[in-house]
Amino acid sequence: MIEALSYGFVQHAILAGILVSLAAGIIGSLIVVNRMVFLAGGIAHTSYGGIGLAIYFGLPIFLGASLFAVGAALLIAVLTVKNRHRIDTFIGLIWAVGMAIGVIFVDLTPGYNVDLMGYLFGSILAVNTQDLYFMGGLLAVILFVITFRYRHILAVSYDSEYAALRGVNVKFYYTLTLILSALTVVIAIKVVGLILVIAMLTIPVYIAEKLSNSLFSMMFVSGAIATLFTLVGLWFSYTYNLTSGASIILVSAASLGLFLLFYRK
Amino acid sequence: MSVVQIRDLTFAYEKEIVLEHIDLEVEEKDFLAIIGPNGGGKSTLLKLILGVNKIQDGSIKVFGESPQKALSRIGYVPQNTNINTDFPIKVIEVVLMGHVGEKRPLFGYGKEELACASGALAQVGMQAYAQSKIGSLSGGQRQRVMIARALCAHPRILILDEPTSSIDSTGQKEIYELLKMLNKDITVIVVSHDISVILEYANKAAYVNRQLSYHDISDKRQVLPAHGSQEHFCEIELLQMLSGSTQNGHAQEQKKPTPHWSETK
Repeated sequence: MIEALSYGFVQHAILAGILVSLAAGIIGSLIVVNRMVFLAGGIAHTSYGGIGLAIYFGLPIFLGASLFAVGAALLIAVLTVKNRHRIDTFIGLIWAVGMAIGVIFVDLTPGYNVDLMGYLFGSILAVNTQDLYFMGGLLAVILFVITFRYRHILAVSYDSEYAALRGVNVKFYYTLTLILSALTVVIAIKVVGLILVIAMLTIPVYIAEKLSNSLFSMMFVSGAIATLFTLVGLWFSYTYNLTSGASIILVSAASLGLFLLFYRK
Repeated sequence: MSVVQIRDLTFAYEKEIVLEHIDLEVEEKDFLAIIGPNGGGKSTLLKLILGVNKIQDGSIKVFGESPQKALSRIGYVPQNTNINTDFPIKVIEVVLMGHVGEKRPLFGYGKEELACASGALAQVGMQAYAQSKIGSLSGGQRQRVMIARALCAHPRILILDEPTSSIDSTGQKEIYELLKMLNKDITVIVVSHDISVILEYANKAAYVNRQLSYHDISDKRQVLPAHGSQEHFCEIELLQMLSGSTQNGHAQEQKKPTPHWSETK
């Protein structure tokens, strides 16, 4: 195991795992308290459309996926402001249409045999330096927003009606939360894949929720828990030659089971 | 001086008229009870006073200004404070929400705000719970916290929407005693279903069912029909009396109910 740490790709994987886990812990907390889990799932799947487009036009994958996911997030924000009760229909639609667009564009790309599995279930061992910059940059943005706008985000998440009465721009913070969720989903695709990303955004948060009495502590506790799960999952993946994303998720799920078994409030 | 002055107000959602030719005058340090059936327009009236709904016809002046301008002097306690009880938020953070949208430090909470929030908690007798998670409180305690949140902005009027709808009877009594105490300094407006209880504390009553009939009930012994012990009133008779729909049909604008109602039972 120790000699594994000397390989560049293992170092990259570990660093990516930590950066993504921290972002997922913070944003996952916001997604859970705002009851946007299904929404995040929709954005995760639709971002495959961006991956397909990026492959077809020869753009960086992260760029294509990010633009597409943010576009979907904005579309959802616009649609839900007016039709809140129909949100599940819109999410289902965006979920499937995005994936279909991705599949068709990959079909249309001549002579390109894409590793679809890598996007569906993660390919953390293929993280390059550019990916790490992107992940680090996003984490910095998230930390910046949380530090300077915590009370607004808290007010909007806890009681948006009251926040609006006190002059907080609820639509702005709702949209901001959606955009940060979309970008976090995109970087998490590299680690656990777009199908498994939901588990990464929710399992650590569920445990952290029981252990914290404020949103702030919940964000950082779930960030720490997610990091732990990712590193243990990576170790399993390396040692037994298993798919990294699936290993991370099963480590998380097993830990959640143990937690529920032994945790008494 | 009148703090809320409503003149010939008519309001409709699309084509359905909810409020029709409403006149209302709330004086400083009044304790006004707004009662009436569900769908009768009580909540709509509140939303108009808070400036959430736009005035279509007629006028509302709060401290002689438009509701939007006067908003910072209104403390509002919304209905359903039992939603979102899983939310990881401390009592003090909920109260500090009362300050959102005003001048404040770049991040964290200012000393002044914290002092103000603790003061508001002390006013409602909840300072010992400042660091507790909101979900760990009882319904009555949570309602006190919501009142503290409204007080945090130093309002001149306190508006409460169904403050005791999900609280046991001891808790209800405590909430009303608290409101009575606060009423020494500020005007209180309460929408409520607990007619017999609220009328013990209120000095004015407005029955809203599309139209509004207004009663000065400061001298309750004379005006209200007593039922058994002097502390309790028969709800059915009260409703009949306040809605102005007793035996003689349309008595909508009855200002001074005549004593003969007390003999109808």
